[in-house]
Amino acid sequence: MIWRFCLVLMLAGLLAFSIAIDATAQTRAVVDGAGRTIQIPQRINRVLAAGPPASVLVYTLAPELMVGWVREPPPEEKAYLAAPYRDLPAHGRLTGRGNTANIESILALKPDLIIDVGSTDATYVSLADRVQQQTGIPYLLLDGTIGKTADVYRMFGKIVGREDRAETLARYAEATMQGIRRRIDPVPVERRPGVYYGRGPRGLETGMAGSINLEVLEAVGARNVAAGAGRGGLMTVSLEQILGWNPDVILALEPAFYRDVAHSPLWSAIKAVRERRIYRTPTLPYGWFDSPPGANRLIGMRWLATLLYPDIFTEDLRQATRDYYSQFYHIQLTDSSLDALLRDALSPPP
Amino acid sequence: MLAAVDVAFGYRGAPVGRGVTCAVAAGEVLCLLGPNGGGKTTLLKTLLGLIPAQGGAITIDGQALAGFSRPDLARRLGYVPQAHNAFFPFTVRDVVLMGRAARVGLFSAPSARDRDAAHAALHTLGIDHLADRTYTTISGGERQMALIARALAQEPAILVMDEPTANLDFGNQTRVLEQIGRLAAQGLGILLSTHDPDHAFACADRVALLQGGHLIALGLPRETLTADMLRRLYGVDVAVTYLTDVGRYVCTPSFNRSRGKTI
Amino acid sequence: MTVRDRPSIGRDRVVGAWDRAGIWVAPVVLVAVVVLSFGIGKYPISLADFAAAIVGRMTGQPAAIDPTIDTVLWQVRLPRVLAGLAVGAALAAAGATYQGLFRNPLVSPDILGVSAGASLGAVLGIFLSLPVLLIQLLAFIGGLAAVALVYAVGAAIRTRDPILVLVLAGVAVGALLTACLSLVKVLADPYNQLPAITYWLLGSLAAVTRGDLASILPALAIGFVPIILLRWRMNLMTLGDEEARALGVDTSRLRALFIAGATLITAAAVSITGVIGWIGLLIPHIARMLVGPDFGRVLLASVMLGGGYLVGIDALARSIAAMETPLGILTAALGAPFFLYLLATTRKGWE
Repeated sequence: MIWRFCLVLMLAGLLAFSIAIDATAQTRAVVDGAGRTIQIPQRINRVLAAGPPASVLVYTLAPELMVGWVREPPPEEKAYLAAPYRDLPAHGRLTGRGNTANIESILALKPDLIIDVGSTDATYVSLADRVQQQTGIPYLLLDGTIGKTADVYRMFGKIVGREDRAETLARYAEATMQGIRRRIDPVPVERRPGVYYGRGPRGLETGMAGSINLEVLEAVGARNVAAGAGRGGLMTVSLEQILGWNPDVILALEPAFYRDVAHSPLWSAIKAVRERRIYRTPTLPYGWFDSPPGANRLIGMRWLATLLYPDIFTEDLRQATRDYYSQFYHIQLTDSSLDALLRDALSPPP
Repeated sequence: MLAAVDVAFGYRGAPVGRGVTCAVAAGEVLCLLGPNGGGKTTLLKTLLGLIPAQGGAITIDGQALAGFSRPDLARRLGYVPQAHNAFFPFTVRDVVLMGRAARVGLFSAPSARDRDAAHAALHTLGIDHLADRTYTTISGGERQMALIARALAQEPAILVMDEPTANLDFGNQTRVLEQIGRLAAQGLGILLSTHDPDHAFACADRVALLQGGHLIALGLPRETLTADMLRRLYGVDVAVTYLTDVGRYVCTPSFNRSRGKTI
Repeated sequence: MTVRDRPSIGRDRVVGAWDRAGIWVAPVVLVAVVVLSFGIGKYPISLADFAAAIVGRMTGQPAAIDPTIDTVLWQVRLPRVLAGLAVGAALAAAGATYQGLFRNPLVSPDILGVSAGASLGAVLGIFLSLPVLLIQLLAFIGGLAAVALVYAVGAAIRTRDPILVLVLAGVAVGALLTACLSLVKVLADPYNQLPAITYWLLGSLAAVTRGDLASILPALAIGFVPIILLRWRMNLMTLGDEEARALGVDTSRLRALFIAGATLITAAAVSITGVIGWIGLLIPHIARMLVGPDFGRVLLASVMLGGGYLVGIDALARSIAAMETPLGILTAALGAPFFLYLLATTRKGWE
């Protein structure tokens, strides 16, 4: 009897010991963008993105670590994504971002860690903790504001062991933002063009001051005409207000709005329409302006700078775009796809 | 004994009547007569404590009505409303069992004793055969009997019935009136309202005539239900006479057959 | 027998037979659905592993299987199944209670505004970027507050028909709360908050944890107590206010107790899953058809059927598509046609 008991005790002890050894051998502590300290495996081979901005981060930095997309990219986006990553399966958004992901599917994909880029407020911290507790997969939050892009690349690079590449991308981000900032600063406020960014098919949805959707505008020193309406997120405005603001430039998200605004009698009194300074933000594979609010906006900043201050920014946008897509999106743009991308972005509708 | 002294009754902001003084003792049948809209139902509900009285005093065995709790009141007064349709298909047995509410603890369900009482009530009225029928599928007369049984299951001292013969066919009306007589003989006090004076003759010990919210007469049927009184009450001519075949006074309208001429 | 008597003995016999069979339908369906649901999921688990995991948990020794299977079964599926049972039972019981109180088969637990209030509370919590626990708490409090407001309004207005006043107050307060809800949705951040809000409003068991379940158990227990204890009295409440009072029932006190209990369980349920419609409306109806009108039996049948229905729907929600389907969509998509079918083919529950 007794020796049987001792045997069991010994085995249990060995098991516990090996688990402990296992644990200490294979995890390390990292601090995420919300200040949480989390144990992650030593080697990261599989990363799951909780939402679209995180997808951008992982795809640009280390696409070989991706387990899937938040949603299946439609064919027009796939044309601008690299194989084989563009054919990875879709798994849905996690928790706070819409909760369409099936937790069991997530577990079946066996990610080493889950990454989420965007808000790091209390709601997201508690949601991250819950998912982590329920699934046992480490869930990291990273700040999505545009100013933090370089830092986030470096932090993420360190986590997944891609420091060199992260450094390259971070430097590009810093160079872009600081470069633009440096050349715009001397421009007096009166010379800065007023820009109206219209979302939706009728172009009546825009962002207020400080809204994450219009961070690019503020980063290139342009004036968001809707800022006068206050601080906040997105809002729907009336044509009256837009006529009152009289923007110098109109940026459209939807093709329908882009085409209609040039010919609509209601909008014709606006300076931007009279001077035909109407442009559409490119959106393939990711929005250049705001959709999603991630590192995809870096090229948008260069484009907007060239558009609004052509005398200060004289670099060849086509070459810059080719470089960016090659470095960040891992594809070489042909002339025709480059044309398709930039056509509506650099000229008004016919 | 249920007694009302100078009772004013009505709804808030809409008084219906005043000055009503009457009483019902054990074993006695008091019939409340009056035209539609005269306030019979309102008066009955006030005497039952369902509507607050607007003046005067209502007592049960000398104690003020307002001093009784709902369950206490229900143990003394049984209410039989007009037979109506129900929302749920309860069996007649369930319906009668509901009468035991005042005698079942707040958080309890009916016990064997309660079921016996319900059974006894059904038996008293001779409707045992209806016990397992669904209330919503039986006839109007049977429903009225079921509601009387329910009130009896409360084991009250006084039954208050609101036009129990309305909407019943001739045969059922007769049966219900006979039942009322039997119940009174067993010691129950009964207060019922009716629109047919002949019914008062059939079963009442005393009648009260209610017109415009006032009691214009109260007394024995043969003294109170005169042709003059009834003409005053209903505005039609009646004939009141003693019929030896049935051993009681009967009252019947003298229908005016000649147009334009009053008899 | 008079001419008025209808030949209805045949129908009574049918009701009787249904009664006897109906008692067994609910528990059997429940057990079957729970067992099936526990075995369904996107994570592939072989039958052998499944059995090993269960044996391992019962004997207390760790099973020799992939630890993720353990996580899936006990951390992901089990809380969902248990929560589905609890929430489904709570919503069905609340629905049965309200249908009895309001004597109307078209009444759902939302009639007094508990869902509108809970939604507003949760959406405010999301809007203010509060941690999840506070969001759930706000939802719970919001639900209680809405009904308290409706009840206070109803009690302040003295009329002959307290039920009607309650219903109208519920409609008005509900509309007001829904308007506030729409306002918050307009102000919310479209990337971070609006998707969360939209998804919450559609109802989901997707991220439910054991902690969530434990947090609502006290409220569920407290809420169920008056409903269960007063189950026979509810039959009397269906007679209407006057008759019930004449029978010795203190209707206003009882009504308050029933509303309090039903609101507690509904608010608790909604606080962890969001708004799930149709269960409170449909399940008590079916229960009544199966077991007859006595509230004690309707309550028991509703609880079992409601729990089973939600667990079954949830199993569907997480297996029919690659993404999670919100529960509110499924319960409506399945519930509405079935409801129409019931209306068309049978009037047994309501005569």
